[in-house]
Amino acid sequence: MDTTDHAFKSDLAEIAAEKYKAGTLSRRGFLSALGALGLVPFLGDRAVAAPTELVVCNWGGQASDILRDLLGKAYEEETGVPVRVDGAGPSPGKVRAMVESGAVVWDLCDSGAGSAIVMNGAGVIQDIDYSIVDRAKVLPGTDLPFGVGNYVFSYALAYNPTMLPDGVPETWADVWNVKDFPGMRTFRKSVRGQLEGAALAMGVAKDEVYQFLDDEGIKAAIAKFRELRDNIIVWGSGSESQNLFLQGEVAMGNIYSTRGYLLKDQMEPGSFRMTYAGGVLQPGIWVVPKNNPAGPEAAMRFIATAQDPDLQVEWFKAIGNGPINPAAAARVPAELAAWNPTSAENVAKQVIYSDEWYGRNQVSAEELYIDALIG
Amino acid sequence: MNEKLRYWMLVLPGLAVMVIFYIWPVLNIWGISVTEPAAGLGNYTRMFDSRAVQVSFVLTFRIAAITTVACLILGYVVAYTIANFAGRVRPLMLGLVLLPFWVSVLIRSFAWIVLLGRSGLVNDTLIGAGLIATPIRFMHNELGVLIAMVHVMLPFAVLPMLTNMRGISDSYMKAARGLGASEWRAFREVYFPQTLPGVFSGGLLVFVLSLGFYVTPALLGGGRVMMISEYITYQIQEFLNWGLGAALSVVLLLATALVLLVAARFVNLRKTFLERSS
Repeated sequence: MDTTDHAFKSDLAEIAAEKYKAGTLSRRGFLSALGALGLVPFLGDRAVAAPTELVVCNWGGQASDILRDLLGKAYEEETGVPVRVDGAGPSPGKVRAMVESGAVVWDLCDSGAGSAIVMNGAGVIQDIDYSIVDRAKVLPGTDLPFGVGNYVFSYALAYNPTMLPDGVPETWADVWNVKDFPGMRTFRKSVRGQLEGAALAMGVAKDEVYQFLDDEGIKAAIAKFRELRDNIIVWGSGSESQNLFLQGEVAMGNIYSTRGYLLKDQMEPGSFRMTYAGGVLQPGIWVVPKNNPAGPEAAMRFIATAQDPDLQVEWFKAIGNGPINPAAAARVPAELAAWNPTSAENVAKQVIYSDEWYGRNQVSAEELYIDALIG
Repeated sequence: MNEKLRYWMLVLPGLAVMVIFYIWPVLNIWGISVTEPAAGLGNYTRMFDSRAVQVSFVLTFRIAAITTVACLILGYVVAYTIANFAGRVRPLMLGLVLLPFWVSVLIRSFAWIVLLGRSGLVNDTLIGAGLIATPIRFMHNELGVLIAMVHVMLPFAVLPMLTNMRGISDSYMKAARGLGASEWRAFREVYFPQTLPGVFSGGLLVFVLSLGFYVTPALLGGGRVMMISEYITYQIQEFLNWGLGAALSVVLLLATALVLLVAARFVNLRKTFLERSS
């Protein structure tokens, strides 16, 4: 089953609208983001991309603009080939339909490990050419045969210190301690990245979280949510979680690190903090569809270009995506280092998202989770 | 072709649209409830075994009932005033009752979020006035859902009662007073019984509409006050559990039908749903 978090991807699209409102994104950029969001059909102005350009598909919004202006420009400077970004959202179903119908438009897609496994199983993506792409420039474990890491986001513990005068939560156990840390908490309306925190709160070591979460472990973790539920407001979309903090509805919660990255600038100084301790780190994965129009080499070259640590840092600064290249961490400006999910220090504190575990357990856990929250 | 048949021909396109795009899909949904994921009544047994479904059903009926009672009490006063004392400002008051219909339920629910939040208008005012020290939780719980639902449903209670009250001649009250009844007694024994059909119609309308309500609870319930329609959405959209979702919607429909059936003993349904404008 497909375990990639598509909701996160489209969440990046929403960020575009906010940036536009805040004036940090031009009108032209906003309109093109809207186009990328699918208000323009995904096959766009022509059915087949000219071989003189490279088409990268991601999930729309601000993320598409950044991809084009940052990575696209760098690639064009290097190779002379212009890059077009399509924000249509390369779900496995779309990629499969495209490859099987023989009308492949995308050269490179922003996907996830779960989706990549599904697409590889369907035989619609190509193996990564590691003579062009550098294995050393991605987080260990994200150099799959048929896909390679592109950026990282996390589920992290965020809190509002001004609502917690008697001390702030440092761990998930603190989040479950309602007596010493009063106030409402927010969790996602899905188990993704949430049960891990409950397991940690029960004292499970971070490297054993997924072993612990067998059938019994899942029940135990969900019982923890049942125990906490009167203090929980759930978020469905990333913007909802952001609103809950902005309006002071919650004192703490488990949210996307990219939303936290926005909140640090939006909230009053001193009223928002985030820790990666006990966070769940999830890498995005590049995949190359079979028979991509620009040819495999061009796509591999783009991946290699995007591995550049300085570009990775710029990418992080623009939208909060953690650099996939471990070497980039040292180049992140000191004042932003704490917000980088992939700094060595932050990686060491986090659980690495297990696509394998979600493939096996997500559906059953999801239902138990919702049932525990409401009744 | 006789005349009757010609009129039926005129109805035919509308009927066809109804059958093809509504009745047929609904029947399909019923079919799904006994065929997916396996043929049989598995979805129904699973539903009655599930604690969450029970909680959601109880919650749905509780919220619908409280909303109905609150709407009837508030609405009765409004309708009574408009019918008997409004005089020249009656069109204005009627307009104020109808005004919310021009604004989408979604917008009205968001407006409540602005009002009821921890740092919303109500809490800020109360804190500013020194009445409370810490914000009260008005929303992201059942209270918030109730407040907003009463607001949304109020016109549905006012209008049938108003129609009914305006049809009551004031000579009954005058006669009762003339025969020596106190004002309260005249109201209680002469006026109020005559308004009961309106009260029942309004109550039924509000109750039935509340049972299937979705937007307001989803926005103000904080994700944990999950009424049955939201639970159905969740089963279908998130878990692709079409079978269970369909079974739930069948039960909701049956429950609503049962309410109507029971109500039919007390209320003239034809009048409630077909002749509301009269």
